[in-house]
Amino acid sequence: MTLYHFGNCVALIYVPYYLTYKYSGLSEYGAFWKCIQAGCIYMFTQLAKMLILATFFPDNVSDLGSDVLGEFLKSTVDLADLVGLYVVLAGIPGKGHSKVLTAGIGWATAEVILSRALLLWVGARGAEFDWKYIQKCLESNISLVQHIATATLIWLWSRHDLKSNFKPVVTALLVFSSYKPLLLDLVLKFLLAGPWVGLFVKAVVTLIVGAFTLTIYAGLAQVIGIF
Amino acid sequence: MWIEEAEELFKGYLPYYVLIVLPIFIIISPASPVLASHEFPVYRMQHFDLHGMSHGSRSAAVNLEARSLTDWSTSRHCIIVKLQDLSIDHFRNIRQKAGALLVVLPNDLSKLNAEEKQHLLLLEHDMLSQEISVPVYFAIWTSQLETILDEVSQNVATNDLSKSAAEAMISSVAANGYQFVVSPGTTSVKQDVKLATIQGHLPGYNQDGKVPTVAIVAHYDSFGVAPNLSFGADSNGSGVVILLELARLFSTLYSDPKTRGNYNLLFLLTGGGKINYQGSKKWLEDQLDALDGSVIQDASFVMCLDTLSAADSLYMHVSKPPKEGSPASLFFKELKTAADQFSTVTVDGVHKKINLADDILAWEHERFSIRRLPAFTLSTLKSHREMSRGTILDTRKNLDVNKLVQNVKVIAEALSNFVYNVSQGEILGGSLDVDKNYIEAWMDYLTSQPRSPQLLSNKDNALVTFLKDNLNKYLRDVKVSYAVPDKRDPDFLFYDVTKGTVNVYSVKPAIFDLVLTFAIIVYLGVVYLFVQKFSLLYATACSLTSSKIKQN
Repeated sequence: MTLYHFGNCVALIYVPYYLTYKYSGLSEYGAFWKCIQAGCIYMFTQLAKMLILATFFPDNVSDLGSDVLGEFLKSTVDLADLVGLYVVLAGIPGKGHSKVLTAGIGWATAEVILSRALLLWVGARGAEFDWKYIQKCLESNISLVQHIATATLIWLWSRHDLKSNFKPVVTALLVFSSYKPLLLDLVLKFLLAGPWVGLFVKAVVTLIVGAFTLTIYAGLAQVIGIF
Repeated sequence: MWIEEAEELFKGYLPYYVLIVLPIFIIISPASPVLASHEFPVYRMQHFDLHGMSHGSRSAAVNLEARSLTDWSTSRHCIIVKLQDLSIDHFRNIRQKAGALLVVLPNDLSKLNAEEKQHLLLLEHDMLSQEISVPVYFAIWTSQLETILDEVSQNVATNDLSKSAAEAMISSVAANGYQFVVSPGTTSVKQDVKLATIQGHLPGYNQDGKVPTVAIVAHYDSFGVAPNLSFGADSNGSGVVILLELARLFSTLYSDPKTRGNYNLLFLLTGGGKINYQGSKKWLEDQLDALDGSVIQDASFVMCLDTLSAADSLYMHVSKPPKEGSPASLFFKELKTAADQFSTVTVDGVHKKINLADDILAWEHERFSIRRLPAFTLSTLKSHREMSRGTILDTRKNLDVNKLVQNVKVIAEALSNFVYNVSQGEILGGSLDVDKNYIEAWMDYLTSQPRSPQLLSNKDNALVTFLKDNLNKYLRDVKVSYAVPDKRDPDFLFYDVTKGTVNVYSVKPAIFDLVLTFAIIVYLGVVYLFVQKFSLLYATACSLTSSKIKQN
């Protein structure tokens, strides 16, 4: 039964990634290696982040909310993710769609494999049942959307032909998506929301960010003529 | 195709046999059992053989679903139940059909009312009356256990016919189950079992030269339905305490040659008293078969002390009424005189013949009476069948020290009057008197740990060493002798595993996983549609922006 549950979790976590890869047309571009490259850059970025965190934030096991400034500074380190994604995007030749999707999916897949696989292997296979694992899986699905949106925003930000009145919006969305985990954690902590509500809020916020990004992207894509 | 690319990847870097190794890896890698949400210490029921008869629960490993008393049906269920709810009929049913039993004991046994105590005594007696093939464990009540008990008993509702079918279905899918796992290893026969018997004496002095002996005997072990819960405050902590107090008092008297008594005093702390007095049996055999005669052979009487704080009435149990004028009858008279000081204390003799057809002896003195030594047992219990002689209820909190002190006074006075052959003598009193603090301290020490014979039978047991060292302070020639079961035809056998830890996993029924799979498939279908129809969404976004561009 427990191995079965593990199978359930794996299906829930990885199948959406596969579906996105398969049906977004990426497989036709031969973007498999590019995705792996993106994953490697993800790993490198995380390593750099960990070095910074370990150097400047030695006691990063404080309770959330007790040290908001410290948490804020720690989240600032997450801006390195944006740099990493920028590097990934720069390394991928091609048109807007495939470029953005390859970077986003590669990045998100690397994250999901590196941060979730071991957790599921150790946790979800045990005899003990816990909703936690299902929640983690759904959260990974949300982060897929988030990463694709972030990659798109970075691409938009790096474009010179983006209308100047969109530039602050894009920057604001980028900064927001970087600090989003901290903000949401704080809000949920003060609302005393349960894990399911938290998950729902995350999903809604991410979808809103995604919708904004899509709209801006669609506008630019039409102007520069990629469909 | 992605698959083809992946194939290339596999060709280049990963050999195909990984596809075989991986499933094997999944199968053989152990699921870690430590990640349980709850862990409780549990105490296993007695498990021993005596004279070829099996007693107690014969198995130990549990890996079963928890069910309540009203809800279980097969041997795949472990029943968790509060002591108060478990009736003897239920237990008999469980013994035959269930998979395992976990009894939750209240965390303070002294707070039970008289009826509940009686219930526990009867239940214990019934549980131990014949061997049980299923594992039986006891746990002490905690609030977490209460939660589990509640949840488990709520599952009864699934069988409730008053609910609608939909409700029943939902609850059967969403029910919180619990899996109890106790993996204590195998229950094998305990090796190197040694029952220690500690002896020591105070030499008396008589002008004739021939000094008779009075032996004082108490067994120091305890008994109850679970070895680790048998603290045995009254039975036989009280006997040991009285013996130690007598040793202390008389050692002071005997230390000065002028006040030395006319009798040798032999003190004997025997082991294995609860398993048919194995310790005293072995000791007697050794003493009587020894080539040079032993002091016990010319004993005036052997006084066994057993369970002496339960009541005010003292009983002198004999297997043959002592002849008029014999030391035992003189002592009995002294005892009556001593008891007269206390208005509440009564002293009576009880005569019960030794039943040679029965393997199990009633009182410890019968061991000595069989070997034709004049012996009797002093106890506050009227019958050897009293269930309070071996129960987990017998704890320090259930013991009345004042009664114990009073009984010590009676016995000490009677013995001193007898030894110095004075009537109404004021030998004890003043600086040399029964010390309540001493008695309390000993009682606290003895009841601070379970004293089941199987727990005390290992080599160099701390309690045995402590008792020996203390007797050494007061007595001469303190020796420890050991009773070891015969290799071929053992009188008694103990088994390992007296306690363990139960891991409680919260689990969901198998049907829940199927429902979950179904839900995941539906969810993935939605994701598929979303990805597939993303172009529609994109088109909407385009139309939004294009209208904006036109407006601009």
